[in-house]
Amino acid sequence: MRHVVDARGSFCPGPITELIKTYRKAQPGDEIELLATDPAAKSDVAAWAAKSKNEVVEVKEEQGYIRIVIRVTPKGG
Amino acid sequence: MKRVVIIGAGTGGIILANALSKKLKAEMKGGRLEIVVFDGSESHVYQPGNIDIAFRGADPKIFRRPITQLLSREVRLFKRPVSRIELDNRAVIYDSGLKMDYDYLVVATGSVAAPETIPGLAEASLNFHRSQEDARRVWEALSTFRRGRIVVLTALPHKCPPSPVEAVFLIDELMRKKGIRDEVEIAYATPYTRAYPAHGIADVVEPEMEKRGITTYTLFNIDYVDPSTKKIYSLEREELAYDLLIAIPPHRGAEVVINSGIGGEEGWIPTDKRTLKIRGLDDAYAIGDATDIPISKSGVVAHLEAITTAESIASQIHGMGKVYLYNGRINCPLEMGGRRAVFVSGTYTRQPERQNPSIAKYLMKRLFNRLYWTMLSGALEPIFNIYLGPPYDVNEGAEGVEEVSRDRPV
Repeated sequence: MRHVVDARGSFCPGPITELIKTYRKAQPGDEIELLATDPAAKSDVAAWAAKSKNEVVEVKEEQGYIRIVIRVTPKGG
Repeated sequence: MKRVVIIGAGTGGIILANALSKKLKAEMKGGRLEIVVFDGSESHVYQPGNIDIAFRGADPKIFRRPITQLLSREVRLFKRPVSRIELDNRAVIYDSGLKMDYDYLVVATGSVAAPETIPGLAEASLNFHRSQEDARRVWEALSTFRRGRIVVLTALPHKCPPSPVEAVFLIDELMRKKGIRDEVEIAYATPYTRAYPAHGIADVVEPEMEKRGITTYTLFNIDYVDPSTKKIYSLEREELAYDLLIAIPPHRGAEVVINSGIGGEEGWIPTDKRTLKIRGLDDAYAIGDATDIPISKSGVVAHLEAITTAESIASQIHGMGKVYLYNGRINCPLEMGGRRAVFVSGTYTRQPERQNPSIAKYLMKRLFNRLYWTMLSGALEPIFNIYLGPPYDVNEGAEGVEEVSRDRPV
């Protein structure tokens, strides 16, 4: 299942809030597609994914925003 | 006669009702319009006051007033909760079955701190977000705390992004005043990559935390708490021990929203972030914490969304057809202890920038605490407009008319 999280325009509290909200409900194997205008989104999501051991499968600069796709791995494993 | 129904007499609901009653005075006087507010609470609470209650021992009474004192006399207040919202029927249900139709609806039902949604958290932690009584319990616990580790923990989503950081700074200040700072470890656990989600503000906050010996644990998303061993476990597979746990719990939308099947199981209303209309509808709006808009859940947002919505509804009732589009402005004070503060300011297109903490900003925050009650009446709007500009762009409604940007620096 793919969840689209549109966090464009959010600088405070920022895209990570929207990402985590969706991540809590997501199942292993799901993909979360995050759209963000916050330039910090790329590094923030990369740091979060590395620590939580989820996989960033795509980072793409679109016109005026960034698209990041994360694949959810089994939690707590 | 047309009817505007507003559900909720929090910051957004009261400002909206008062603004609308000013704009539509003639219609109300002529019996062509009524504005109805539903709220089951006796009092309106100034929620930022919870910081002063929890960390300075302030008297909760200072921060609450009867709703009747705050609403314009022309507005009809129903002191009871709405039990169901029927968007398809353009009606709200109250008093177990009574029905009230509306021409325009604004849902301003806020958010609820819900520690019970994380296993162990309600039992293990105190919080200052759910109520004044909860904030008072934080003060009592801090007053008797002598030695050990205090953990301030943030879970998502929650209202008032600055509040966790304000909490750690004020706990530090309190423990220093009591002369026991050396005996107390202060730890801050946050789901973000930095001590504050907006990097410009994190640049200011982090060195100050380090200077005061506050340990920050970033990327810590709570999974559950084990109260028996006093340990917190994260989704990132880390654990953190505590002696006193002060949590900013995850929040959810209001029960009436969830029960009406509007906002999914967490109760966030699907809302257009610019028009503030409930998505797919032309006669129903949502403002403040209640929405799913990716913006801070804060009093300033509720305030500015209320002003924007009042303009749109008044324009619709006047038959002008203008659409007012919220520009996403935020302007939240963040107190750093030592009588210094910064303001987290930005819009949908402008991120909060680094700024120096100052006593002037702290005094502005304190002054606003006093001016809040006057602000609810709408009397300060002309001043806000001069200094900050309106919080919206205007679309004239006709096809081909370009949006006029009124996004000014704040």
